[in-house]
Amino acid sequence: MILEARNVEYVYKSQKERKVLDNISFQFEEKKFYTIIGASGAGKTTFLSLLAGLDSPTEGTVLYEGEDILTKGLNYHRKNHVSLVFQEYNLIDYLTTEENVRLGGTDKPEELLSKVNIAQEAWKRNVMKLSGGQQQRAAIARALASNAKVLLADEPTGKLDEPTAVESIAVLKRTAHELGKCVIVVTHSKYLANEADEIVQIADGIIVP
Amino acid sequence: MNGFSLAWRSVIRKPIKSVLLFVTVFTISLLLLSGMSSGKATIQMQDHTRQAVGAGLLLEENEADRHRRIDKLSEQLAHNEGSLGGYHQEKVIINGVESWRTWTDNFFETLLVEDIEKIADTEGIADYNITTVTTAARPVDFVRIEDVDVDQYNDIGGVSLVGNKDMSMDSNFLSGNAFITDGRMIREDEKDVCVISAELADKNQLDIGCSIRFGNCRNKEDSMTYEAQVVGIYQVNQPIVPYMFGDTYRSENIIFTDLDFPEKVDGKAGDPLYEKAYFKIADVNEYETVKIRVMGADIAWERYDLIDNNGNMNTLSANFNEMEKYSNILVGVISGASLIILFLIFQFWMKSRNREIGIMLSMGTSKIRILAQVMTEALMIAALAVLISFLAAPGVSGLTADYLVEQQIQNVKEQELMNEGKVAFSYEKSEQNVVGVRAEITSGMLMQDASGIALLIIISVCVSYFAILKKNPKDILQEL
Repeated sequence: MILEARNVEYVYKSQKERKVLDNISFQFEEKKFYTIIGASGAGKTTFLSLLAGLDSPTEGTVLYEGEDILTKGLNYHRKNHVSLVFQEYNLIDYLTTEENVRLGGTDKPEELLSKVNIAQEAWKRNVMKLSGGQQQRAAIARALASNAKVLLADEPTGKLDEPTAVESIAVLKRTAHELGKCVIVVTHSKYLANEADEIVQIADGIIVP
Repeated sequence: MNGFSLAWRSVIRKPIKSVLLFVTVFTISLLLLSGMSSGKATIQMQDHTRQAVGAGLLLEENEADRHRRIDKLSEQLAHNEGSLGGYHQEKVIINGVESWRTWTDNFFETLLVEDIEKIADTEGIADYNITTVTTAARPVDFVRIEDVDVDQYNDIGGVSLVGNKDMSMDSNFLSGNAFITDGRMIREDEKDVCVISAELADKNQLDIGCSIRFGNCRNKEDSMTYEAQVVGIYQVNQPIVPYMFGDTYRSENIIFTDLDFPEKVDGKAGDPLYEKAYFKIADVNEYETVKIRVMGADIAWERYDLIDNNGNMNTLSANFNEMEKYSNILVGVISGASLIILFLIFQFWMKSRNREIGIMLSMGTSKIRILAQVMTEALMIAALAVLISFLAAPGVSGLTADYLVEQQIQNVKEQELMNEGKVAFSYEKSEQNVVGVRAEITSGMLMQDASGIALLIIISVCVSYFAILKKNPKDILQEL
């Protein structure tokens, strides 16, 4: 077990009466590909944010290798334990594709760019000039560049056409099975959900068994 | 990829924000430098009524600085009777109405000997003379020359004493207007000696070797008299311009003495009042070079006018009407406005970089490191803008100083027009014309400008960044 949510609750500060997550507990393992599914507003993205250390739970703890992520700090957790892929790609707009990947923490971005099937002529181009699919793959390459054992992705195929989405899913699966990382993906896509080793379904802030 | 590389790429690849900041900082830097240099500008004046004779330079007290010193001491004393730095004030009641009497003494008014000596030590100065203020003295055993047709009721009934360190360099003798007809000039090491006019000698049957006595002219209770031996008799081509109205100061009644004699007769031994200092330049061909060297002497120049043989003198902006005040206001306004403008620019920077900041935070980059990157970018652009502004500053500073001087002259002219016929002057105003303005940018100003702008940027970036610091990465990413 690499990452664990233990009795996690989350209440929006502006809406005190509304619990977004209610006493969620779950353990994630390495070399596995997880998908988190659920209706809009069910709390999927909030759960992913807490696992990523982008925010801290109102109650309960998130543990990385058995240690509360708050012990070393959320910044440390984000820097060393997890890497993130967003629906909006979130690439740095003034850097090239290669530089964006380098930002993830590698000195050899070429290998990763090849791995995610980005053509060599796009490596030195400004990342904003790539197609949506290429940008998403660049974002995945950046996430892979880090030594983090957990890769978290929020709707990574949400903006992609079907063939590109399938390609991205394949990359994520390979990341889990070949690179041995724990890949956790929030998605609405049934196809993507079905590709997972394990599906976590959230409804009204709780995990549906 | 380190923070510096990222900052550099952001500066180069996001040209609009970089150019916006560059132009702003360049303008701020230019305006600040212009303001500072105008405040320290040297205004070149010409005054034909006061000019050094021959290959020499003349040092006199600066009137504007004198008034400023009085104002400052008066402020320090506030509403108290007392004395400070040669300035005195006392309360007097006249017809039951309270008013203040203020006056200055020789300690306040005199040219400082240490300053004169510093100038005299300048390379290229061959010799120098100090001349006392024209001092009224009571003739004890001789009579003065009087105009029989003039009512002497308002005159103090004295003669004028003018002391010189080296009489040969007195302006009257140096110009050739006065010359010795009998005897000789006073030597530098002599005491209690005098040179009188031929008219005074004739009237009193005085000859070389005779002694005449003087008493205090203003304090009638002072019965002390002082004797001086006549060593020379002079004549003039044109009457010497009197110091004030009345026969006490008429040309024939002017008696030249050794440097210390006037203060003794005036009852102020050891407390001299030196009015002028003349510096003789060794090589006339090096006149301008020596003048520049003299101007570099380490003395409080705002206190003096240094006048050359064309009547040219350099007036510091501090002594030129309200020039320094306006320059200081200009610098203050620019600094305040700059802070607001820079703050708004960095607000724009931060808002337009919200996504980037969110991404960096999600990757575990610390907030301090992000701030450092933004600061590095801002300082890189600012450094370039400030450096280029240094090149453009001399030209712009000159124009600014010219403009401020022109405004000052215009104000004075308007004031004079308004005062015409309303204000009476008890003295003949000297005719001074501005012939040039020199606004120099010193290394000190460059340092002040660069550090001021760096400070403005650091404050603006930190204040703008404060809103980001409060947010967590989830909030930032959700705003996108």
